[in-house]
Amino acid sequence: MSTTTLDRKSIRNSVGPGPAFHRVLNSEFIKFRTLMSTLILLASTAVVMVGFSALGAWGTGQITKQAAEDPQAAAAIAAQGGDLAVTVPTSGIVFAQLILGSLGVLLMSSEFTTGMARSTFAAVPRRLSPFLAKLVVVMVSAFVLTAVATYVAGLVALPILNNYDLKLDLGSSQSVKLLLVNSIYVAAVAAIGMALGTLVRNSAGGIMSLVGLFFVAPIAFQLIPGDFFKEASKYLPGNTISPLTAVEHVPDTLEAWQAGLVLGAWVVVPVALAMILLKKRDV
Amino acid sequence: MIEAKGLTKVYGEKTAVGGVSFTVQAGRVTGFLGPNGAGKSTTMRMIMGLDAPTSGSVTVNGEPFVQHKAPLREIGALLDAKAVHTSRTAYNHLLAMAATHSIPKSRVREVIEMTGLGDVAKKKVKGFSLGMGQRLGIAAALLGDPQTIILDEPVNGLDPEGVVWVRNLVKYLASEGRTVFLSSHLMSEMALTADHLIVIGRGKIIADAPIADIISGKGQVRTRVRTDQPERLMQLLAGTGVSVEVHERELLEVSGLDPRGIARAALDNQVMVYELTPLQASLEEAYMELTKDEVEYHSHITTGASVPAQAGGK
Repeated sequence: MSTTTLDRKSIRNSVGPGPAFHRVLNSEFIKFRTLMSTLILLASTAVVMVGFSALGAWGTGQITKQAAEDPQAAAAIAAQGGDLAVTVPTSGIVFAQLILGSLGVLLMSSEFTTGMARSTFAAVPRRLSPFLAKLVVVMVSAFVLTAVATYVAGLVALPILNNYDLKLDLGSSQSVKLLLVNSIYVAAVAAIGMALGTLVRNSAGGIMSLVGLFFVAPIAFQLIPGDFFKEASKYLPGNTISPLTAVEHVPDTLEAWQAGLVLGAWVVVPVALAMILLKKRDV
Repeated sequence: MIEAKGLTKVYGEKTAVGGVSFTVQAGRVTGFLGPNGAGKSTTMRMIMGLDAPTSGSVTVNGEPFVQHKAPLREIGALLDAKAVHTSRTAYNHLLAMAATHSIPKSRVREVIEMTGLGDVAKKKVKGFSLGMGQRLGIAAALLGDPQTIILDEPVNGLDPEGVVWVRNLVKYLASEGRTVFLSSHLMSEMALTADHLIVIGRGKIIADAPIADIISGKGQVRTRVRTDQPERLMQLLAGTGVSVEVHERELLEVSGLDPRGIARAALDNQVMVYELTPLQASLEEAYMELTKDEVEYHSHITTGASVPAQAGGK
């Protein structure tokens, strides 16, 4: 038996490359781009972003036109820093986060619902490697898609805003900040989605948890009487985006740096939990 | 080579695999035979590191599977024909798996041709028949040209041509010096394919022997005896390891004692015996015999051929 062990060692050295991280990353990227459902979700996110931007441009134009005659509307605009047009390209961000967050859920939950996980983890038995590779693919694609869609949405909004004599400078520092912060935020939501998909291992359950966290909880927290839930509401992941993108600190919200930390924690904790359980559980 | 030592998997109250130890040698086809629910798939998943054993250990080529530097090149497995995202094409599925080990596209095309999937490789797996799914699983197992190949029920759903193909393929792979471990609940299939057989029932190994020994039913000698004094003969034969079944008024079936021993006992006691026929067990019968106490789900079809439940065998 010792001789066969020796033989095997000598064979194994010439056996060929194993699953280094860059190879696993490449594999996850192939898996990502060869699913029609993924491409459809990405395309619909872009369409929604551009569409809402156009609608937002039109709506903003209408409001400012009224404001010229209506002192109340003028006051509302002044309260928001005077520049409404700058947020137009990211009008659709709420929907982008929902779709791309669901995509994050699906990419992991489908591994388990289809049985693909057995192939994935038989090829790369150190499970954290495919998990992290997938996380990179999910976050980078969510970031890039949101950034590109936001820019295109801005380009589409420009002529509409011009009609109402509103100025939008896509190169201004606030425009660039909004584009980057929103894209990072959507990437974070996608990461949370993927962690939920890993924990729940079920597409419907994962998406429902995501919707609960981002859409139901903020409303429920507002409806429940008492100061505790009002305060807690600030720490929900979906409520971190407005402090992060505000020009100035708005009273009764988190500071931008606090919101950044809170959002970071909302990513790190579920992802860490997902990694621990993925390692421990049977596939 | 695969070595399992005291491999155990417990799900809650239920023991799926209860401390099995076995060795699968290179250079031959080792069959893993057992009724459904016997623990075959669980054992295979533990070999592949997908399920963690409750206790015990298993190594592939001397190391736990998880510790291999290039797992896909070391061991290829078909664990479940549906271990695929069915919205992806067969080619893309294999391509994604190959990418983890920098296995070239040429090898992906090679295994596609080898498994006869050429015409459907660019189609979504969703539309595949069970047999095509099996072929895709086998293609994935062969991707890394591994030394050890594990196939869980590979002939399930294959057409007759496919069954013959798998049979020849595994024999060829073993002849190249590879370790081939394949499971089935069909003894007839094993008789044609395997060189060595490990039989499992209710999570326990009940036989681990060359296929020839199991077919010949070693240790399971049965003899048909006709005598005009069955009660008397039964008393004479009673002893450890001997069991007697009464089939008709004057017809007995004796196991655990060879014909010579029965004749001797009859002669010494002046009991007339007018038939003494050694019964050769087919693999099918031997398997039934081996597993009859181990089958978890008994079907209750009463046909003339059914073997009456009787102690012994174990």
